[in-house]
Amino acid sequence: MSEHPGLETYVCPYCRLSSDPSSPACPNCGAPVSTRELRDDEGWVEQPPIRDMARIQFGRSQCQIAGTYVPVAEMSLAPGEQVYFSHHVLLWADPGTQLAARQMAKGWDRRKAGMPLVMMEATGPGRIAVSDDEPGELIAVPLEGGQAIEVAEHHFLMATSAVSYEWLHTRTWWALGKGSNRELFYPRGRYVDRFTAQQRGLLLLHANGNAFIRDLRDDERIYLTPRALLYKDPKVYMNIHMERPASPRAHWKLIPMIRLTGPGRVAIQSQYGFEAESHYGWDELGPDGSWRNWNPDPSRWRPVIKEREPLYP
Amino acid sequence: MAVHAVPSRSTRGQGSNVPVAVGLARLVVMGVGRPPHAERRGAAAVERIACSWCHYENEPGRTSCGTCGAPLDVANAVSESGWRAAPRLREMAEFRVGNVTCQIAGQVVPVAEFTLADGDTIYFEQHTLLWKERTVSLTGKNLKSAGRRTIAGMPHSVIEAGGPGRIAVTRDASGEVVVLPLHPGIETDVRGHAFLAASQNVGYDFIRIEKLASMLHGGPGMYLDRFVASDTQGLLLLHGYGNVFQRRLGVGEKILVEPGGFLYKDAPVTVSPVPVQAGAGFRHANWAELTGPGRVGIQSMYVHRHSS
Repeated sequence: MSEHPGLETYVCPYCRLSSDPSSPACPNCGAPVSTRELRDDEGWVEQPPIRDMARIQFGRSQCQIAGTYVPVAEMSLAPGEQVYFSHHVLLWADPGTQLAARQMAKGWDRRKAGMPLVMMEATGPGRIAVSDDEPGELIAVPLEGGQAIEVAEHHFLMATSAVSYEWLHTRTWWALGKGSNRELFYPRGRYVDRFTAQQRGLLLLHANGNAFIRDLRDDERIYLTPRALLYKDPKVYMNIHMERPASPRAHWKLIPMIRLTGPGRVAIQSQYGFEAESHYGWDELGPDGSWRNWNPDPSRWRPVIKEREPLYP
Repeated sequence: MAVHAVPSRSTRGQGSNVPVAVGLARLVVMGVGRPPHAERRGAAAVERIACSWCHYENEPGRTSCGTCGAPLDVANAVSESGWRAAPRLREMAEFRVGNVTCQIAGQVVPVAEFTLADGDTIYFEQHTLLWKERTVSLTGKNLKSAGRRTIAGMPHSVIEAGGPGRIAVTRDASGEVVVLPLHPGIETDVRGHAFLAASQNVGYDFIRIEKLASMLHGGPGMYLDRFVASDTQGLLLLHGYGNVFQRRLGVGEKILVEPGGFLYKDAPVTVSPVPVQAGAGFRHANWAELTGPGRVGIQSMYVHRHSS
């Protein structure tokens, strides 16, 4: 693992930051140092769970991860240091910790997207703990100044004040109907959260189930069930993709997926909360939308199905 | 996907011919029952390791079973009552049945990843699809008696994925993947919503359990999925919620199981409702009484219908 053995530096394969190889866990992201990389044949690397009671340093403050099933992040905030989070993840706080509301811009957009309108801000000195309420893994993403990451909505747990938070349109949608009857569907949510570090900061995410990461090569593509996406590099391009299974009968529904195109890192979760919906066609796909029909005889489709010319490359 | 007719009652019971599980994870077998891919070296006896879960005889040096992925170098987890914990598959454990290679990843919500060669096929329910490569083809298959299955809240169709390429499925809930290599002709009955994936040569049907409707699903009807391999060994993956335990019942041996905890059984094992002893608060609750011979699998995480 040591990239420069003579200098005794260690580059963590998960957060890609240098640290001390003698410590049991990466001080930047908490990933165990001694764990061998679990890479499958397809190129997915399992994000190793942060060990119980592992510590992560950020600024003058410290975070300790407790629990392995529904992990809790306990923060010891140094005087003047701030973190922010959504109020529903707050587990407990010392009375001395200053808690305040942090207003977010574009409140109407966030309300439409089902996102929290107000964040909570905690200022040290003091201790607080945050936790999601689903079995899974807590993922620490240290960000260097200028570095950004795009996170699927509802996975954000906490960030330091040096990390700015904005949200972008996912552009992964399809539309049914026209004019006033036009209805939009967003299989991976309307917005994706973008976190950008102004200076070095820490971002905590919660993945439901297990988390896997993969580095896509330039122009490499992967087709993913939409809700499984956890985060991605901003360089990874995402667009809507539809697949129609081959079937002698024409009533088979479409399978909405998202197509991710490298280069860059993507992370997925293994518990994604499938929602059964009926999708028989579309009038318009989001930008660069693609689709594939595995039916050898497209003429047997029901005539009511509306689909454009094949865009699949 | 090959869908086979359910054999008559008289042809069942072959599950009892499977050797009874031994008390050790490692069983050294001398020179008999050589697996097809084992290299033969003269007449010398070759030590092979029998998997305590699926009884497949593995070549020496393996640490996990080549057919079900179970660790071969760990002590058996069998309770004093005889329940054997389903093997906790090691991260990235890989195994192979026929031409289909499967790898299990993740411990909380495990993912099953398949590597399919050209012409290889697996099938699964649509909502379990996690990701796939571009070259993997998808074909929709409607199951028999789709109307009855729909009414019972069961899936009425599956998706068949064809190689070449890679594809991953997951059941989207905490628990364990249970790998059941199916010997030809052996029928396995599985509770609804536990099926994860199966190889093409495994037939998928269902049977109706009379009088158990209110016990197991609380709905108007209750079906068990029935899987049977055709002429070659097949692969069946189930998802057990929480932890999974298995016990082999002898002929006429009975066990009472909370209906929600029941996961799978061999076809010869019969199920019948037994009322919980009358008392305040029990109302009309029933146990599922399972009578051997054969294997019975249970899961530790379920919703108890009277406390939910």
